[in-house]
Amino acid sequence: MSISRTIICLLGMLLVVLPSFGLATESPKDMAGTGYFRDQDTRPGVLEFYRQLPGGENRLWGMGPKRQVIRRSSFKKDAHNGVADFSPELRCQKCHIPQTKDLHGLRMGITCVQCHRSQPVAGIYHYYSALNPIRRHAYVCAKCHDGATPSFASYLVHEPNPIVSETRNTFPLFYYAVWVMLILAVGVFIFFLPYTGLWWIREFITRLKGRPNHG
Amino acid sequence: MARERTRLKRFTPVHRLWHLGLILIFMTLSVTGIAWMYFETPWGRGVANLFGGYLNVLEIHRIAGLIMMVGFTLHILYMIYRIDWKRFPGSLLGPDTLVFQWVDVKGFVAHLGWIFGFNKLPRFDRWSWWEKFDYWAVWWGLIIVGVTGLMLYNPVLTSDYMPGWMLNVALWVHRIEAVLAMGHIFTIHFTVEHWRPSSFPFNAAMFDGTIALEEAKHEHPEWVARLEKNGLLNEAVVSPPPVPLRILYFLFGYSIIFLGLFLLVFAIANAALLTLF
Repeated sequence: MSISRTIICLLGMLLVVLPSFGLATESPKDMAGTGYFRDQDTRPGVLEFYRQLPGGENRLWGMGPKRQVIRRSSFKKDAHNGVADFSPELRCQKCHIPQTKDLHGLRMGITCVQCHRSQPVAGIYHYYSALNPIRRHAYVCAKCHDGATPSFASYLVHEPNPIVSETRNTFPLFYYAVWVMLILAVGVFIFFLPYTGLWWIREFITRLKGRPNHG
Repeated sequence: MARERTRLKRFTPVHRLWHLGLILIFMTLSVTGIAWMYFETPWGRGVANLFGGYLNVLEIHRIAGLIMMVGFTLHILYMIYRIDWKRFPGSLLGPDTLVFQWVDVKGFVAHLGWIFGFNKLPRFDRWSWWEKFDYWAVWWGLIIVGVTGLMLYNPVLTSDYMPGWMLNVALWVHRIEAVLAMGHIFTIHFTVEHWRPSSFPFNAAMFDGTIALEEAKHEHPEWVARLEKNGLLNEAVVSPPPVPLRILYFLFGYSIIFLGLFLLVFAIANAALLTLF
């Protein structure tokens, strides 16, 4: 039994052991949005896994978006099933006005069906929905955003109004960051605009009196 | 014919170059950023079309933003190089540095008092409190708008290092800081530097590097007195730049001012068409 054979054996064992370390430390960063499914995308109990992703409750001291109240219709194959007065002929805007006021729609002209797919529109948590969080990044986001990851897909396309008090509970960081910036900006203008105006008037009056500048 | 030496050197060529660079890159970012922000309005689309559509506008905005960040980094290195490390940290204080000191608080109170007619105009040294504020405001602005801008530069890459919903936050912070910066420059900065009765119609100090000695005696009397006491005044007094150069400064300055006012007026006029929420 030579030393070289022992070393080869050890190396062989390392090769077997190392990849399992890799699996144990899997993080969202490793999950490049290739569009392929891995085991963890499809196995039962996957929701627990996705709670730990960026956007889950535990990241950044709970300052991120909280999971919204999920409606029962979000799990249906046809989300509009059972909605009174619903007709496939209606325009989405008739009922979903707030959802039409975001950058994707307003600036890029993305239509609802480009992400939500055509009739019947599946609930976003329906098992086969393209927008189901387990495949949203690959089936929807990556259509335009090459290489989109689950982390990327936690961007809120239909973002809440940042300045209303409701957002303090649903997405605290968004609420506080926007308010801090607004107070900073409004504070600067509230102070400097009158200051500059009065300053101008003071110099003007000095001029009128015919004294040299700044009397 | 020798021109009369009536002007006092205030900014070095390097100072003027920093300011010129900042003007050019800031205006590029303003025009392209506003075009993108107002892209849902006909005016915004019109401005974007001048650059060949939204893809180009965004690309120019991104590249200009990177150039601005490089410029900011270089400026920080320049500042580190300029600090007198032998006398540090005492060298950070004194009348020639832009560091806020107690004298600026007193200067501010006295200036406010002068506006309301309670006291005489305070005797400012080289830099008054609002000039220091203008300088440091660029720092705070660049840090906020720069960090969020880099986050938005490549959203997919950014979301490898932080949750994707941070982009929701970044965009709003970027936007508010940009509106604050543009609003401040196009109203307050232009008024204080160019439209005050004592500066009207155009204060070329940042372009030719000098101010009128008479003006300096009114606005920065302590500085002039200090130069005189140290025997530096005579060599700091120079003749005005040649007329063609002054015309060039004026035309350049006012094309930038008009561009700023154009953005300001149309941005306000179209603000109601903007969907923010």
